[in-house]
Amino acid sequence: MLALSITNGLVIGIIYALTALGVSLVVGIMNVINFAHGEFYILAGYFSYLFAHTMGLDPVVAMVLSIAAVFLIGIVVEYTLIRPTYGDDLYSLILTFILSIVMQSTFLLVFGPFPNKPPNWVKGATNVFGLFLYGNQRLAALIAGAAVIALFFAMLKLTWFGRMIRATSQDREMAELNGINTRRLNMLSFGMGCALAAAAGVILSPVFPVTPSAGVPVALTAFVCVVLGGMGSMWGCVAGGLVLGLVENLGAAFVSTGYKHVFMYLILILVLLIRPSGLFGRSET
Amino acid sequence: MKKRLFFLSVMTAVVGMALVCAPVYAVDTVKIGVVGPRTGDAAATGKAFEEGIQLATAYVNAKGGILGKPLEIVFEDTAGAPDKAASGFERLVTRDKVAMVLGESHSSSALAEIEVANRLKVPFVVVEAWADPITAKNYRYVFRAGPSNSGVVKDTIAKWVVHEGFKKAYIVAENTDWGLGIAEISEAALKAAGVSYASLVTERKSQDHYMELAKIKEFDPDVVLAFIYGTGLHYFVAQAGEVGLTPKAVVLDGAGPPSLWPDFWTNVGDYGNLECFVSSMHKQVELTPLATQYREAYVKAFGQAPTDYKSRSIYDAILIAADAVNRAGATDAEKVVDALESTALLVTRGTARFGTEKGGPEYHQWMPPMLVIQWQNKEQVVLYPPEGATGKLKR
Repeated sequence: MLALSITNGLVIGIIYALTALGVSLVVGIMNVINFAHGEFYILAGYFSYLFAHTMGLDPVVAMVLSIAAVFLIGIVVEYTLIRPTYGDDLYSLILTFILSIVMQSTFLLVFGPFPNKPPNWVKGATNVFGLFLYGNQRLAALIAGAAVIALFFAMLKLTWFGRMIRATSQDREMAELNGINTRRLNMLSFGMGCALAAAAGVILSPVFPVTPSAGVPVALTAFVCVVLGGMGSMWGCVAGGLVLGLVENLGAAFVSTGYKHVFMYLILILVLLIRPSGLFGRSET
Repeated sequence: MKKRLFFLSVMTAVVGMALVCAPVYAVDTVKIGVVGPRTGDAAATGKAFEEGIQLATAYVNAKGGILGKPLEIVFEDTAGAPDKAASGFERLVTRDKVAMVLGESHSSSALAEIEVANRLKVPFVVVEAWADPITAKNYRYVFRAGPSNSGVVKDTIAKWVVHEGFKKAYIVAENTDWGLGIAEISEAALKAAGVSYASLVTERKSQDHYMELAKIKEFDPDVVLAFIYGTGLHYFVAQAGEVGLTPKAVVLDGAGPPSLWPDFWTNVGDYGNLECFVSSMHKQVELTPLATQYREAYVKAFGQAPTDYKSRSIYDAILIAADAVNRAGATDAEKVVDALESTALLVTRGTARFGTEKGGPEYHQWMPPMLVIQWQNKEQVVLYPPEGATGKLKR
């Protein structure tokens, strides 16, 4: 039971982390809380389903196309809806909240109420160290999720674009004085935040099929990860996601399966009581 | 010639304007409200309700309507949330002036709605919300033309478990009024039948059931009674296959419709084979001529055979409501309640008759017969009751 709960905690945690990275990026760069983050996750799941099922594309191609499509949609959303609200955080908050409701209604109208599932990349289950059977698709999700997170951190650390992101999130004015076009960076960051949600969506939708309203808990968990890890800290997101995944699964295994998500909030309260700025957050002072 | 043309043009314009601007007289109808989830996690039920409403409205109106007027259904979305359900119910009564209200498929929502029905003194026929307290509260205005938790467990599930000779059962229930209620009744029924059992609670919105399944696997049951509604059931069945719980153990979907949703097979893959579910509908077990008529009308309207039995449940409820108002001779609530109490109407699932003895959940309850069906190579095989069986359990 312990080995299974740790393995499952890592798998779920990696996906939580991936979703939360998108939120953290947008908050860090733009100071915008995107309430529709979960809906971009769902949108990617639907795209992946459409490309793979309806158009018959290879699942990997369908995934890449879905992430690219959500990235572009994210850019359009930033340009048309978010950009006019700069300077007033409340407006962007309300706007993304409305966007979330509109997207949910559109999903219901277009895809119907039933769950949609893109095809599995791999079938069956593996006997892990002779201890338990574990779904191959989940193991593939663990590897894919970890790979996307590694790529994202490599981009942050090793590229000029990553340097611009870090510089802007640390000091926006100084970054502008050094010639960074922060408006364009905002646009690309929002698109990238949506693309990270999309990556989580396409990786996880073969395991958990998407439904019109399934984005709400996704976004909520992502926000909890960000706060738990520390606002603005990318490593904090990863740590937050993994902690949540592990706590949920260990709690379900050894305490009760009926309060899985309660453990998530309990750990959040506990951490914030001890470290109000989160696990990796910097204190205001 | 030009004058004549001008005159004709002016006259055409005047007549046209007159037609457009003529006061629109609303057709006098008898309004009946329906409550159910058209959005949210169980929006599929809303879709099934819409289908049943369409067919029932056509049927009732073809037979002369209600009190000589056409029947009009006003469908209020509850999104599966008790607060929205209660306010939606109240809107139907105060804004739309409906004669009575039907529907609902969430017990938590229905429990909120019955309080409004009782306060506003409006007849309410619950259709697919199974929690016992809905009728056990013995409210005069509340009826149920559909399954109750105790009815389904005592008449069908527990008897089926004994019939198949299962020795060990595991009960998995979502943490809702329906799930917790039916789990408690199942535990008592299994205990009385001498079947060894264990149980656990899972979160209604949980997608990941690996931990639950690990605990179930440790118990090594013959049968798993899964009281999980919606997409969660798909996750459960698929994951039960992944961890190797099935096919050694048989999984029974204790609600039914999710095993019949169009994407069931896409979501669960081969793990769906040999899964069992509760249902009140099977094309080979049609209890009345109206059931056959319903299936034919459904195929004609929607181009395929009906799957989600909840479309037929709301259909029956509308027929029961129309019959009651017609017999009452008015939309007066007291007269309609009296008429409902003396209902003896042949609908698709048998003859609808409401219990009138107070003191338990049987009051104002009509329990239609339920079936246990198993998927065998994507074919529905009726296992229980024996008199309706079309095959035997496969493991």
